[in-house]
Amino acid sequence: MMLSRRLALAALAAISPALAPAAGPTPSPAPAAVVMPAAAAPDTDVLSKTDMAAATETDSMSIPTPGELFAALGKQMKPNWASQFRGSINTSLASRAQIALNLGGLIADGYVAVEAMDSSQVKNVGRDILILGKSLGISKEIIERGQSITNFAEANEWNTLKEELEATQNEVKSAMSKLRDEDLVTLISLGGWIRGTAVVCGIIGEGFSDASASLIRQPAVVGHLRRKIATLSPKVRDDVLIQSVDRQLAEIEKLVSFPLGTAPSKEDVKKLKDSATALVVEIGKKS
Amino acid sequence: MKLTPTFLALVLLLAPAVCGGQDSDSETEARIVALDIAGAFSNDGYKIRDGHWSGAVKPKEKAQVMLVNLYAGNQYYFSLGTDKEVKMALAVYDETGKKVSGDLYRDGGRTAAGVTATASGPYYVSVRLMEGEAASFCLLYSYK
Repeated sequence: MMLSRRLALAALAAISPALAPAAGPTPSPAPAAVVMPAAAAPDTDVLSKTDMAAATETDSMSIPTPGELFAALGKQMKPNWASQFRGSINTSLASRAQIALNLGGLIADGYVAVEAMDSSQVKNVGRDILILGKSLGISKEIIERGQSITNFAEANEWNTLKEELEATQNEVKSAMSKLRDEDLVTLISLGGWIRGTAVVCGIIGEGFSDASASLIRQPAVVGHLRRKIATLSPKVRDDVLIQSVDRQLAEIEKLVSFPLGTAPSKEDVKKLKDSATALVVEIGKKS
Repeated sequence: MKLTPTFLALVLLLAPAVCGGQDSDSETEARIVALDIAGAFSNDGYKIRDGHWSGAVKPKEKAQVMLVNLYAGNQYYFSLGTDKEVKMALAVYDETGKKVSGDLYRDGGRTAAGVTATASGPYYVSVRLMEGEAASFCLLYSYK
Protein backbone atom coordinates (compact mmCIF):
# COMPACT_ATOMS: atom_id res chain seq x y z
CA MET A 1 0.00 0.00 0.00
CA MET A 2 1.59 3.25 -1.07
CA LEU A 3 -0.38 5.56 1.18
CA SER A 4 1.98 8.01 2.78
CA ARG A 5 2.27 8.58 6.52
CA ARG A 6 0.91 12.05 5.98
CA LEU A 7 -2.12 10.76 4.14
CA ALA A 8 -2.62 8.19 6.85
CA LEU A 9 -2.44 10.86 9.52
CA ALA A 10 -4.80 13.09 7.54
CA ALA A 11 -7.29 10.26 7.30
CA LEU A 12 -6.99 9.62 11.01
CA ALA A 13 -7.35 13.32 11.72
CA ALA A 14 -10.66 13.35 9.90
CA ILE A 15 -11.99 10.89 12.43
CA SER A 16 -10.16 11.76 15.61
CA PRO A 17 -10.28 15.36 16.81
CA ALA A 18 -7.10 14.63 18.72
CA LEU A 19 -5.23 14.26 15.44
CA ALA A 20 -6.51 17.45 13.86
CA PRO A 21 -3.86 19.72 12.33
CA ALA A 22 -2.22 22.42 14.43
CA ALA A 23 -4.10 25.24 12.68
CA GLY A 24 -7.36 26.46 14.09
CA PRO A 25 -8.59 26.66 17.66
CA THR A 26 -6.21 25.04 20.08
CA PRO A 27 -7.85 22.55 22.40
CA SER A 28 -6.18 21.22 25.50
CA PRO A 29 -2.79 19.81 24.46
CA ALA A 30 -3.14 16.71 26.56
CA PRO A 31 -5.64 13.88 26.40
CA ALA A 32 -7.95 13.61 29.40
CA ALA A 33 -5.61 12.00 31.86
CA VAL A 34 -4.07 12.12 35.25
CA VAL A 35 -1.46 14.89 35.28
CA MET A 36 1.37 14.80 37.78
CA PRO A 37 4.90 16.09 37.92
CA ALA A 38 7.20 13.47 36.40
CA ALA A 39 9.45 13.71 39.42
CA ALA A 40 6.63 12.32 41.55
CA ALA A 41 6.13 9.30 39.33
CA PRO A 42 6.98 5.99 40.96
CA ASP A 43 10.17 5.35 39.07
CA THR A 44 13.87 5.54 39.76
CA ASP A 45 15.33 9.05 39.93
CA VAL A 46 18.73 8.07 38.65
CA LEU A 47 19.68 5.96 35.66
CA SER A 48 22.80 3.89 36.15
CA LYS A 49 25.81 4.15 33.87
CA THR A 50 25.25 0.50 32.95
CA ASP A 51 21.72 1.25 31.80
CA MET A 52 22.90 4.26 29.82
CA ALA A 53 25.66 2.26 28.14
CA ALA A 54 23.20 -0.49 27.23
CA ALA A 55 20.58 1.92 25.81
CA THR A 56 19.08 1.07 22.44
CA GLU A 57 20.06 3.35 19.55
CA THR A 58 18.23 3.54 16.24
CA ASP A 59 18.46 5.96 13.33
CA SER A 60 14.78 6.78 13.53
CA MET A 61 14.86 7.72 17.23
CA SER A 62 18.47 8.58 18.07
CA ILE A 63 19.50 10.71 15.09
CA PRO A 64 17.67 14.05 15.19
CA THR A 65 16.22 15.37 11.95
CA PRO A 66 17.50 18.65 10.51
CA GLY A 67 14.04 19.99 11.34
CA GLU A 68 14.63 19.50 15.08
CA LEU A 69 17.98 21.26 14.96
CA PHE A 70 16.59 24.10 12.85
CA ALA A 71 13.64 24.51 15.25
CA ALA A 72 16.07 24.92 18.16
CA LEU A 73 18.20 27.38 16.18
CA GLY A 74 15.12 29.44 15.31
CA LYS A 75 14.50 29.96 19.05
CA GLN A 76 17.97 31.45 19.59
CA MET A 77 18.12 33.81 16.62
CA LYS A 78 16.46 34.85 13.41
CA PRO A 79 18.39 32.81 10.88
CA ASN A 80 18.96 33.99 7.33
CA TRP A 81 18.33 30.59 5.79
CA ALA A 82 18.73 31.81 2.22
CA SER A 83 22.37 32.65 2.98
CA GLN A 84 23.01 28.93 3.20
CA PHE A 85 21.63 27.97 -0.22
CA ARG A 86 24.10 26.31 -2.52
CA GLY A 87 23.98 25.86 -6.26
CA SER A 88 23.00 22.72 -8.07
CA ILE A 89 25.26 19.84 -7.08
CA ASN A 90 27.14 17.45 -9.32
CA THR A 91 24.66 14.64 -10.03
CA SER A 92 26.94 12.61 -12.36
CA LEU A 93 28.22 10.24 -9.73
CA ALA A 94 29.17 6.62 -10.29
CA SER A 95 29.46 5.19 -6.79
CA ARG A 96 26.21 4.30 -5.00
CA ALA A 97 27.84 5.17 -1.69
CA GLN A 98 28.71 8.64 -2.93
CA ILE A 99 25.22 9.11 -4.38
CA ALA A 100 23.65 8.17 -1.03
CA LEU A 101 25.83 10.66 0.86
CA ASN A 102 24.83 13.40 -1.57
CA LEU A 103 21.18 12.42 -1.42
CA GLY A 104 21.25 12.89 2.36
CA GLY A 105 22.86 16.30 1.89
CA LEU A 106 20.18 17.31 -0.61
CA ILE A 107 17.42 16.36 1.81
CA ALA A 108 19.07 18.69 4.35
CA ASP A 109 19.07 21.36 1.61
CA GLY A 110 15.36 20.74 1.26
CA TYR A 111 14.85 21.59 4.95
CA VAL A 112 16.86 24.79 4.47
CA ALA A 113 14.74 25.79 1.45
CA VAL A 114 11.57 25.15 3.44
CA GLU A 115 12.83 27.18 6.41
CA ALA A 116 13.60 30.00 3.95
CA MET A 117 10.10 29.57 2.48
CA ASP A 118 11.57 29.68 -1.01
CA SER A 119 9.44 27.62 -3.38
CA SER A 120 11.90 27.94 -6.31
CA GLN A 121 14.71 26.56 -4.19
CA VAL A 122 12.46 23.75 -2.94
CA LYS A 123 11.78 22.77 -6.56
CA ASN A 124 15.46 23.00 -7.53
CA VAL A 125 16.47 20.75 -4.66
CA GLY A 126 13.59 18.41 -5.42
CA ARG A 127 14.79 18.07 -9.01
CA ASP A 128 18.30 17.08 -7.89
CA ILE A 129 16.88 14.63 -5.33
CA LEU A 130 14.91 12.98 -8.13
CA ILE A 131 18.01 12.66 -10.33
CA LEU A 132 20.00 10.99 -7.55
CA GLY A 133 17.03 8.84 -6.57
CA LYS A 134 16.83 7.56 -10.14
CA SER A 135 20.51 6.67 -10.00
CA LEU A 136 19.79 4.52 -6.94
CA GLY A 137 16.73 2.92 -8.52
CA ILE A 138 14.19 4.45 -6.13
CA SER A 139 12.70 7.10 -8.39
CA LYS A 140 9.14 5.75 -8.14
CA GLU A 141 8.92 6.55 -4.43
CA ILE A 142 10.58 9.92 -4.88
CA ILE A 143 8.47 10.96 -7.88
CA GLU A 144 5.32 10.42 -5.82
CA ARG A 145 6.75 12.47 -2.96
CA GLY A 146 8.29 15.05 -5.29
CA GLN A 147 4.96 15.94 -6.82
CA SER A 148 3.34 16.58 -3.46
CA ILE A 149 6.37 18.58 -2.30
CA THR A 150 6.07 20.78 -5.37
CA ASN A 151 2.36 21.24 -4.79
CA PHE A 152 2.84 22.19 -1.14
CA ALA A 153 5.63 24.62 -2.08
CA GLU A 154 3.41 26.31 -4.67
CA ALA A 155 0.63 26.57 -2.08
CA ASN A 156 3.07 27.95 0.55
CA GLU A 157 2.13 25.17 2.97
CA TRP A 158 5.46 25.27 4.76
CA ASN A 159 4.54 23.36 7.91
CA THR A 160 3.13 20.52 5.85
CA LEU A 161 6.26 20.58 3.72
CA LYS A 162 8.45 19.99 6.77
CA GLU A 163 6.50 16.82 7.54
CA GLU A 164 6.62 15.81 3.90
CA LEU A 165 10.39 16.18 3.80
CA GLU A 166 10.85 14.01 6.85
CA ALA A 167 8.51 11.45 5.34
CA THR A 168 10.50 11.61 2.09
CA GLN A 169 13.71 10.92 3.93
CA ASN A 170 12.14 7.94 5.68
CA GLU A 171 10.59 6.67 2.46
CA VAL A 172 13.93 6.82 0.68
CA LYS A 173 15.53 4.90 3.56
CA SER A 174 12.66 2.42 3.57
CA ALA A 175 13.10 1.89 -0.19
CA MET A 176 16.81 1.25 0.34
CA SER A 177 16.00 -1.24 3.12
CA LYS A 178 13.63 -3.08 0.78
CA LEU A 179 16.50 -3.30 -1.72
CA ARG A 180 18.57 -4.78 1.14
CA ASP A 181 20.89 -1.80 0.94
CA GLU A 182 21.14 -0.92 4.63
CA ASP A 183 24.59 0.57 4.04
CA LEU A 184 23.04 3.29 1.94
CA VAL A 185 20.48 4.06 4.66
CA THR A 186 23.39 4.86 6.99
CA LEU A 187 25.09 6.98 4.34
CA ILE A 188 21.93 9.02 3.67
CA SER A 189 21.74 9.84 7.41
CA LEU A 190 25.44 10.66 7.44
CA GLY A 191 25.28 12.93 4.39
CA GLY A 192 22.29 14.75 5.84
CA TRP A 193 23.97 15.31 9.20
CA ILE A 194 27.18 16.65 7.64
CA ARG A 195 25.36 19.12 5.38
CA GLY A 196 23.01 20.15 8.20
CA THR A 197 25.99 20.81 10.46
CA ALA A 198 27.68 22.99 7.82
CA VAL A 199 24.46 25.01 7.43
CA VAL A 200 23.89 25.47 11.16
CA CYS A 201 27.49 26.51 11.81
CA GLY A 202 27.23 29.01 8.96
CA ILE A 203 24.13 30.55 10.49
CA ILE A 204 25.50 30.57 14.05
CA GLY A 205 28.58 32.36 12.73
CA GLU A 206 26.39 35.12 11.30
CA GLY A 207 24.89 36.00 14.69
CA PHE A 208 27.06 34.31 17.27
CA SER A 209 25.86 33.79 20.83
CA ASP A 210 26.77 31.22 23.46
CA ALA A 211 23.21 29.87 23.42
CA SER A 212 23.14 29.27 19.67
CA ALA A 213 26.69 27.88 19.66
CA SER A 214 25.83 25.35 22.36
CA LEU A 215 23.47 23.67 19.88
CA ILE A 216 26.42 22.12 18.05
CA ARG A 217 27.07 19.89 21.06
CA GLN A 218 26.17 16.47 19.66
CA PRO A 219 28.78 13.93 20.79
CA ALA A 220 26.39 10.98 20.84
CA VAL A 221 25.19 11.66 17.29
CA VAL A 222 28.68 11.55 15.80
CA GLY A 223 29.52 8.54 17.96
CA HIS A 224 26.44 6.75 16.64
CA LEU A 225 27.29 7.60 13.02
CA ARG A 226 30.86 6.40 13.41
CA ARG A 227 29.70 3.11 14.95
CA LYS A 228 27.36 2.69 11.97
CA ILE A 229 30.25 3.29 9.56
CA ALA A 230 32.16 0.53 11.36
CA THR A 231 29.31 -1.88 10.58
CA LEU A 232 29.15 -1.11 6.85
CA SER A 233 29.92 -3.97 4.49
CA PRO A 234 33.67 -4.23 3.79
CA LYS A 235 33.18 -3.13 0.17
CA VAL A 236 31.55 0.14 1.21
CA ARG A 237 33.69 0.67 4.31
CA ASP A 238 36.88 0.31 2.25
CA ASP A 239 35.75 2.89 -0.31
CA VAL A 240 38.34 5.69 -0.36
CA LEU A 241 35.67 8.36 0.14
CA ILE A 242 34.06 6.57 3.10
CA GLN A 243 37.44 6.09 4.75
CA SER A 244 38.17 9.76 4.32
CA VAL A 245 34.76 10.72 5.72
CA ASP A 246 35.33 8.47 8.74
CA ARG A 247 38.75 10.01 9.40
CA GLN A 248 37.35 13.52 9.25
CA LEU A 249 34.39 12.57 11.43
CA ALA A 250 36.88 11.61 14.13
CA GLU A 251 38.09 15.22 14.09
CA ILE A 252 34.55 16.59 13.94
CA GLU A 253 33.59 14.41 16.92
CA LYS A 254 36.14 16.29 19.03
CA LEU A 255 34.67 19.64 17.97
CA VAL A 256 31.11 18.70 19.00
CA SER A 257 32.11 16.96 22.26
CA PHE A 258 32.77 19.92 24.55
CA PRO A 259 31.76 19.57 28.24
CA LEU A 260 28.16 19.91 29.37
CA GLY A 261 27.34 23.45 30.49
CA THR A 262 30.00 25.11 28.35
CA ALA A 263 29.75 26.79 24.96
CA PRO A 264 32.24 26.72 22.11
CA SER A 265 33.93 29.91 20.96
CA LYS A 266 33.19 31.61 17.65
CA GLU A 267 36.49 30.21 16.38
CA ASP A 268 35.45 26.69 17.38
CA VAL A 269 32.18 27.07 15.47
CA LYS A 270 34.09 28.35 12.43
CA LYS A 271 36.46 25.40 12.66
CA LEU A 272 33.50 23.01 12.67
CA LYS A 273 31.87 24.87 9.78
CA ASP A 274 35.07 24.69 7.74
CA SER A 275 35.48 20.96 8.47
CA ALA A 276 31.87 20.13 7.62
CA THR A 277 31.89 22.32 4.51
CA ALA A 278 35.12 20.74 3.26
CA LEU A 279 33.55 17.35 3.77
CA VAL A 280 30.43 18.39 1.82
CA VAL A 281 32.68 19.52 -1.05
CA GLU A 282 34.66 16.28 -0.98
CA ILE A 283 31.47 14.22 -0.95
CA GLY A 284 30.22 16.11 -4.01
CA LYS A 285 33.40 15.82 -6.07
CA LYS A 286 33.14 13.88 -9.31
CA SER A 287 34.70 10.45 -8.74
CA MET B 1 -10.74 10.36 23.82
CA LYS B 2 -11.79 6.76 23.02
CA LEU B 3 -10.97 4.66 20.01
CA THR B 4 -14.23 3.93 18.21
CA PRO B 5 -14.61 0.73 16.13
CA THR B 6 -14.72 2.82 12.93
CA PHE B 7 -11.56 4.66 13.93
CA LEU B 8 -9.77 1.41 14.70
CA ALA B 9 -10.92 -0.17 11.45
CA LEU B 10 -9.56 2.70 9.38
CA VAL B 11 -6.35 2.84 11.34
CA LEU B 12 -5.77 -0.87 10.88
CA LEU B 13 -6.47 -0.50 7.17
CA LEU B 14 -3.80 2.17 7.00
CA ALA B 15 -1.43 0.37 9.34
CA PRO B 16 1.15 -0.62 6.71
CA ALA B 17 1.53 3.03 5.73
CA VAL B 18 1.79 4.15 9.32
CA CYS B 19 4.03 1.37 10.56
CA GLY B 20 6.08 0.45 7.52
CA GLY B 21 4.44 -2.96 7.44
CA GLN B 22 7.07 -4.42 9.76
CA ASP B 23 5.29 -4.65 13.10
CA SER B 24 3.12 -7.35 14.59
CA ASP B 25 -0.59 -6.70 15.07
CA SER B 26 -0.12 -5.91 18.76
CA GLU B 27 2.72 -3.51 18.01
CA THR B 28 0.57 -1.88 15.35
CA GLU B 29 -2.18 -1.43 17.91
CA ALA B 30 0.30 0.10 20.36
CA ARG B 31 1.53 2.45 17.64
CA ILE B 32 -2.00 3.55 16.87
CA VAL B 33 -2.44 4.47 20.53
CA ALA B 34 0.92 6.29 20.59
CA LEU B 35 -0.01 8.25 17.46
CA ASP B 36 -3.35 9.09 18.98
CA ILE B 37 -1.66 10.53 22.08
CA ALA B 38 0.92 12.43 20.01
CA GLY B 39 -1.86 13.77 17.79
CA ALA B 40 -3.28 15.60 20.77
CA PHE B 41 0.01 17.45 21.23
CA SER B 42 0.05 18.36 17.52
CA ASN B 43 -2.84 20.66 18.32
CA ASP B 44 -0.42 22.61 20.48
CA GLY B 45 2.16 23.00 17.71
CA TYR B 46 4.23 19.88 18.35
CA LYS B 47 5.54 18.10 15.25
CA ILE B 48 5.49 14.33 15.38
CA ARG B 49 8.86 12.81 14.56
CA ASP B 50 8.43 10.22 11.80
CA GLY B 51 10.05 7.36 13.67
CA HIS B 52 9.15 5.03 16.49
CA TRP B 53 10.43 2.38 18.87
CA SER B 54 8.35 -0.75 19.33
CA GLY B 55 8.83 -3.64 21.71
CA ALA B 56 7.31 -5.76 24.44
CA VAL B 57 7.23 -5.37 28.22
CA LYS B 58 6.71 -8.06 30.83
CA PRO B 59 5.92 -7.95 34.55
CA LYS B 60 8.91 -7.54 36.88
CA GLU B 61 11.19 -6.87 33.92
CA LYS B 62 13.75 -4.07 34.24
CA ALA B 63 13.29 -0.84 32.32
CA GLN B 64 14.16 -0.64 28.64
CA VAL B 65 16.08 2.45 27.60
CA MET B 66 16.33 4.37 24.32
CA LEU B 67 18.99 6.98 23.55
CA VAL B 68 17.74 10.20 21.95
CA ASN B 69 19.56 13.42 21.13
CA LEU B 70 17.72 16.59 22.07
CA TYR B 71 18.41 20.27 21.48
CA ALA B 72 18.46 22.99 24.14
CA GLY B 73 15.36 25.14 24.06
CA ASN B 74 13.18 22.62 22.24
CA GLN B 75 10.17 21.17 24.05
CA TYR B 76 9.51 17.47 23.63
CA TYR B 77 6.66 15.07 24.32
CA PHE B 78 7.33 11.34 24.44
CA SER B 79 4.14 9.40 23.75
CA LEU B 80 3.94 5.80 24.89
CA GLY B 81 1.10 3.56 23.72
CA THR B 82 0.40 -0.03 24.66
CA ASP B 83 -1.95 -2.60 23.18
CA LYS B 84 -3.43 -3.37 26.61
CA GLU B 85 -4.71 -1.34 29.54
CA VAL B 86 -1.55 -1.53 31.63
CA LYS B 87 0.25 1.00 33.82
CA MET B 88 3.60 2.04 32.40
CA ALA B 89 6.49 3.99 33.87
CA LEU B 90 7.94 6.51 31.44
CA ALA B 91 10.85 8.75 32.39
CA VAL B 92 13.46 10.94 30.70
CA TYR B 93 17.01 11.21 32.05
CA ASP B 94 19.83 13.57 31.11
CA GLU B 95 23.31 12.40 30.19
CA THR B 96 24.39 12.35 33.84
CA GLY B 97 21.60 9.89 34.58
CA LYS B 98 19.47 12.40 36.49
CA LYS B 99 15.73 12.34 35.87
CA VAL B 100 14.48 15.38 33.97
CA SER B 101 11.44 16.90 35.59
CA GLY B 102 8.46 17.73 33.46
CA ASP B 103 4.86 16.60 33.06
CA LEU B 104 3.57 13.07 33.04
CA TYR B 105 0.19 12.16 31.57
CA ARG B 106 -1.31 8.76 32.20
CA ASP B 107 -4.63 7.29 31.15
CA GLY B 108 -4.87 3.52 31.00
CA GLY B 109 -2.51 2.27 28.30
CA ARG B 110 -1.64 5.84 27.31
CA THR B 111 1.31 7.61 28.86
CA ALA B 112 3.18 10.74 27.83
CA ALA B 113 6.09 12.66 29.32
CA GLY B 114 6.81 16.27 28.44
CA VAL B 115 10.22 17.85 28.99
CA THR B 116 12.15 20.91 27.89
CA ALA B 117 15.78 20.25 27.01
CA THR B 118 18.02 22.64 28.91
CA ALA B 119 21.20 21.42 27.25
CA SER B 120 21.90 19.91 23.84
CA GLY B 121 23.12 16.35 23.88
CA PRO B 122 22.11 12.78 24.68
CA TYR B 123 19.10 11.94 26.83
CA TYR B 124 17.67 8.58 27.83
CA VAL B 125 14.02 7.55 27.76
CA SER B 126 13.11 4.60 29.93
CA VAL B 127 9.94 2.51 29.70
CA ARG B 128 8.84 -0.14 32.16
CA LEU B 129 5.70 -2.09 32.98
CA MET B 130 4.46 -1.12 36.45
CA GLU B 131 1.14 -2.95 36.66
CA GLY B 132 -0.63 -5.41 34.40
CA GLU B 133 0.13 -8.27 32.08
CA ALA B 134 2.73 -8.50 29.32
CA ALA B 135 2.04 -6.01 26.53
CA SER B 136 3.43 -4.51 23.35
CA PHE B 137 4.48 -0.89 23.46
CA CYS B 138 5.31 1.86 21.01
CA LEU B 139 7.19 5.06 21.83
CA LEU B 140 7.42 8.09 19.59
CA TYR B 141 8.18 11.72 20.17
CA SER B 142 7.09 15.18 19.14
CA TYR B 143 8.93 18.48 19.36
CA LYS B 144 8.43 22.20 19.03
